[in-house]
Order: sequence, then structure tokens, then C-alpha cells
Amino acid sequence: MLEYDSAKRPPPAIDEFLQLVRYRDLILLMVGNILKNRYKRSLLGVFWMLLNPLLQTIVLSIAFGTIFKSSLPNYAVYLLSGLLAWNFITQTTQYAMSTMAYGGGLLKRIYIPRATYIIAAVGNGLINLIVSIGALLIIIIFLNHAITPAWFFLPVSIMILAIFSLGLALLLSTASVFFTDTVDIYQVLVQALFFLTPIMYPPSILPLEWSQLLILNPFVILIEIFRIPIHANHLPDFSLIVNAVSLALITLVAGWVLFTSKADQLAYRL
Amino acid sequence: MDNVAIQLNNVTVRFRIPHEKIPTLQEYAIRWLKRRSVSFTDFNALNNVSFSIKQGETVGIIGANGAGKSTLLKVISRVIRPTHGRVFLRGRIAPLLELGAGFDYEMTGRENIFLNGAVLGFSRKDTASRLDRIVEFSGISEFIDAPIRTYSSGMVARLGFAIATDIQPDVLIIDEILAVGDVDFQKKSAARILQYHNDGSTILLVSHDLDSIKNLCNRVIWLEHGSVKIAGRVDDIVEKYSLETLS
Repeated sequence: MLEYDSAKRPPPAIDEFLQLVRYRDLILLMVGNILKNRYKRSLLGVFWMLLNPLLQTIVLSIAFGTIFKSSLPNYAVYLLSGLLAWNFITQTTQYAMSTMAYGGGLLKRIYIPRATYIIAAVGNGLINLIVSIGALLIIIIFLNHAITPAWFFLPVSIMILAIFSLGLALLLSTASVFFTDTVDIYQVLVQALFFLTPIMYPPSILPLEWSQLLILNPFVILIEIFRIPIHANHLPDFSLIVNAVSLALITLVAGWVLFTSKADQLAYRL
Repeated sequence: MDNVAIQLNNVTVRFRIPHEKIPTLQEYAIRWLKRRSVSFTDFNALNNVSFSIKQGETVGIIGANGAGKSTLLKVISRVIRPTHGRVFLRGRIAPLLELGAGFDYEMTGRENIFLNGAVLGFSRKDTASRLDRIVEFSGISEFIDAPIRTYSSGMVARLGFAIATDIQPDVLIIDEILAVGDVDFQKKSAARILQYHNDGSTILLVSHDLDSIKNLCNRVIWLEHGSVKIAGRVDDIVEKYSLETLS
């Protein structure tokens, strides 16, 4: 028979994981519902998911494409692949954080695993990303850009992005429950970082001393790991892969430990 | 010890109330720079509460507003963990405090049965196998494929009740006697709870209605300022309680 004993339970980091496995159907339903709700009432339905990145790319390509024409062949592919990785990380983390900070009311009313919303946000982001890759393919075919076996590396890249985003979302969500302005601070940081990360421009346009500082920007590694197989048509360097995997795993472990150790206080605080 | 359904040992739930408004990181930083710590008042919503309820018992909980009744239900239904002490619970719990928790009003009744079922910890497969029975009990089969924002509040509550009570729970937690839906449905839901009671479910009932406490419960726990004031046989305690609250 099912038993609950508040005094005897596995360490929070393990307990939360076991509970999430038990509630896996809830996570799947939440992911599905986020999508359904977002697109139910719009005429073009899921096509918005394709259209949005396409339009974004076309506008930015017209604006900046000519500037980087010589240094970046197929600028639109460069731009959109970077943009997709960037949007995935930032939108997932922002969505997870805001559902925790403002919409976590359910956690106060009934028991569900505390990380449910955050995992669902990552799942939702993954679906958006995969659909958006469809838009990228349209542009690639239109521009006659090569598709090479390096694409087989993409699932690994996406896994790395997802692991990193989950970790960051857990860290930020914990912070946002304790300090409500975390949401706003992060929003400002994201805007600034967008211009400090080579997404719209090639790293080569930066002065040498600046481009060395890029190592300090963790987003650069993550954008590159996704963009290189698509735009440069080769596998990322081994050292880049190691860096990206380590960054993602460290973020996830830190986020998981922090979140689960504070999770009991969430219902008190939310 | 073997037939214990719910047991609380020295359970304390402490809320920390900041003296000033909820700190933002900005305010926190300013305060830190000024070397001034954030000041709190600790408030014990539950204070050293211990009791034990056997399987099959129906126990009432009474007390004034703010005595800690809701916190007690939350700590038993696992929404919050006790600051100190131990909560032990055996069996599956159906908290009827939050009927339809997690309902999404844009979704249809059918979709919400799955959603709410998952919130209550049931797998999709399990809910699917019981779908027809749930719809039938709720009595809204004609509208089951309409978004629940089009439902009346009574219909929403009926659906929530039908989902939460579809399987007999080991422990049933009721906050106030359920006045769900119309008279017919109230009869139907009361009959279902009574049947679960006869079949051995443990029931924890929080109510201000002393008559229903008297009718339904064997035992009563009287909470005051977060502590158990007295616990014991229903007649004695209800009498004392009504004397005190009337005077």
C-alpha cells in the first residue's frame, strides 16, 4: 500500500526525480496543452510556428545580409540557425520562470512534483525548436545550401541545449520565487546578451581583444554547437563538444540540486 | 500501529512573515549594502500537533478561522512539508479541497478529465479506462466535448467531484460539506461518500457546521491557535465548543 512518511524520504534530488517519473503523463499533457492553447484560436494554426522564424530571418537578412555578404556565405542560414538555438534557450527559461513565479498556484493547492512546470516548458521549447528546423530547411533548400552528414550531430546538439536550458531554468525559477524581480533582471540581461553573442554577426567583425572575451559568454559555445553542423557543414571541434557538454551538465546538476533543496519552501513562498 | 491511516507526531508548520513587503533582489541588495538584515516574524500555523487516526474512522476538525485547519489539511495532503515533526499517511489520499485543480478552461471537459486525473497522480491509461464512468457520474455527457469555460460553476464542480472520487480512496479529506451542484447531485455525491465510508475509507472532515460533524464523525479534534486544544468523543467536544463560541 502507498505510504507517505515526511520523516523518511530519499534525498530531495532523488525523490523529485522519482516523483516526476510517476507523474510523467502529467508532463506530457501539459506540453500538449501549452501547444494546443497557443494555436487553437489562430487561423493559421501551427503554420505560425513555421512562419514566425521565416519572417524574422527574411527581415534581418534584408537588413544585415549585405553587410556580411563577403565574410558569411548564406547569411540567412547562419542567422536562423543561431537564432533558433538562442530562442530555444531564452524562451524556454523565460517561460519556465514566469510560470513558476506567477502561475505556480497549483503547487500551493495540491501536491504535484515541483519541477513539473519547468520540465513541461523545456518539452514545449523542444517541439517549437523541431518545428522551426522545418523553417530552416525551407531556407536551406531555397538558398541551395548543402546538407551534409554533419546533420547527424544535431540530435546531440539539441540534447546539449535542452540539458543546459533545463539547468538554467531550474536555477532562475528558484531565484524568481525568492526574488520576484529576477524575471525582469533576466529579461534585460537576455536583451544585452543577444547583441554580445555572435548571432546576427560573425565573430570575426569584433576587434581581437573583444573576441577573446567571448570565451566568457557561455551562450557562444551553445550557439556554435548547434550552428556549426548546419552552417559550416562539419562536426564541431572535439574541445568545443567537451566544453558544451560540461557546461550543460554542470548547469543541470547545479540547477537540480538547488531547486530540489529549496522545493519544500516553494509552497510557502509562492 | 498497523491500522493507522494518518499519524502526526509533533508537527509544526512555521511561516516566515517578512516585516516589510516581499523582498526583490534589488531591495535585498540595498539592504545588504546598508548592512541591515531583512527582519521576519515567525508564525506557527501549526504548533506541535500530534494525533493518530485509525483506518475507517471519520474524524471531524473544528476551530475558529485561523486556527490552522487549512494548514493541517495541506500538511496531510503533502502540499507543504512540516517544518518540524513527522506526517505519516497510509494509502491513496483524495483531497476534496481543490476540486478540479489544474483545470484548463480553454480545454474541453474530456481533455480536462485527463489533465485533472494526471494532477491527481493517475496515468493516462488508467483515466482512459474510467472515462465513461466519470462522465456518466458527472451528468454532463452532452457537454463533455465543449470547453469548460462554457460550463456553469456547478457543472465544473460536478466534473471535479466525479474525477476525484471515481476510485475509492483510502483517505478522503473534505473541507466543508460539499454542496456541489444541484440537489440531485448533492444527494448522489453524499451517497458516494457514505458508501466509501461504509467500505472502510478514512474520512477527515473540516467543517463549521456542527450538525454535520455530529452526524458523521466518531471523533473530533479541536484546533486553537495552531495547537490541539482537545480531542475526543464527538458529543463532549461539540458541546464544549458550541458553549465557548456562543459565549
